[in-house]
Amino acid sequence: MKPSILIIDDSLTVRQQVATILTGIGYEVIEACDGLAGLEAARAHSDISMILCDVNMPRMNGIEFLEQFKGDGGAPAVPVVMLTTDGTPDLIARAKRAGARGWIVKPFQAHLLVGAIRRIVGDAARDSVAP
Amino acid sequence: MREFTMPGKSTEERLNEILAVCLTELVRDLGANPSWLLGGRPENATGDILAAFVGFGSDNVRGSFTLLGQPRVFARLHPVPAEGNKRDLADWARELANQAVGRFKNRVLGYGLDIAISSPQSMVAEQVRITKSQKDLRTPLVIGIEDMTLESWLELDVRSGFTLDDKPGSPTEAVLSEGSVVLF
Repeated sequence: MKPSILIIDDSLTVRQQVATILTGIGYEVIEACDGLAGLEAARAHSDISMILCDVNMPRMNGIEFLEQFKGDGGAPAVPVVMLTTDGTPDLIARAKRAGARGWIVKPFQAHLLVGAIRRIVGDAARDSVAP
Repeated sequence: MREFTMPGKSTEERLNEILAVCLTELVRDLGANPSWLLGGRPENATGDILAAFVGFGSDNVRGSFTLLGQPRVFARLHPVPAEGNKRDLADWARELANQAVGRFKNRVLGYGLDIAISSPQSMVAEQVRITKSQKDLRTPLVIGIEDMTLESWLELDVRSGFTLDDKPGSPTEAVLSEGSVVLF
């Protein structure tokens, strides 16, 4: 089974960009367009290996998502890495306190994104197990 | 990170220059070779125009950023091969405006200005006219990208008496720059 990664971003472009990169190296990608949809997707897919989450989104932003998700009791061990244009220290500290595993500032470089994911989740090709 | 020390300039002028540099850097990061054009939008610009808007604010400064261009200039900057349909390009225009203002937010923090950013919006129209209803809507920055142009407007309302710090303070050092990856 391929490790699956949930990407939460209100930009279709970013979701496509991340999906193109990650599916190309063997991960399965699930998409959600804001924090609320992200919570629903995370609850619906209990086997998610990792979550990449934007911050500035309508309805529910990424920090609110993170705080709810980590406080949910459902899957607190799932690592969440924020993927955002924002690099301000206060917000990063808040995310860290809420349990974020990392912070990536857009625009991102594909090889650095892949490196971070492999470090957290492991290599998809190596870790995939035939069903 | 580039420092912006502009003695004698107003806060509005400094913010305009910081944003101009941020947008130019972003366009360069997306693989294009931008140049600043004088004289505004070329008169022969016809056809659909894509516009994206992002609002921002703090106790001292409120404003909005508008990005305008023909769909093909957004297609040129798109990070993945795009089919070029208007829905995808409108989405990308929103994200591009969001990334430009996000970079601006990171830069101005070091000068004592901490802004919050709204969710970006976009529209497609045959004609887009910016009405000069607000006091500090300035001349647009027009960036040339090959034979195309990307136009940006910054609308600002600065609280009387507020000025940016002359030089970036310590928060600048702690702000993560674009492309940074940090794992905790």
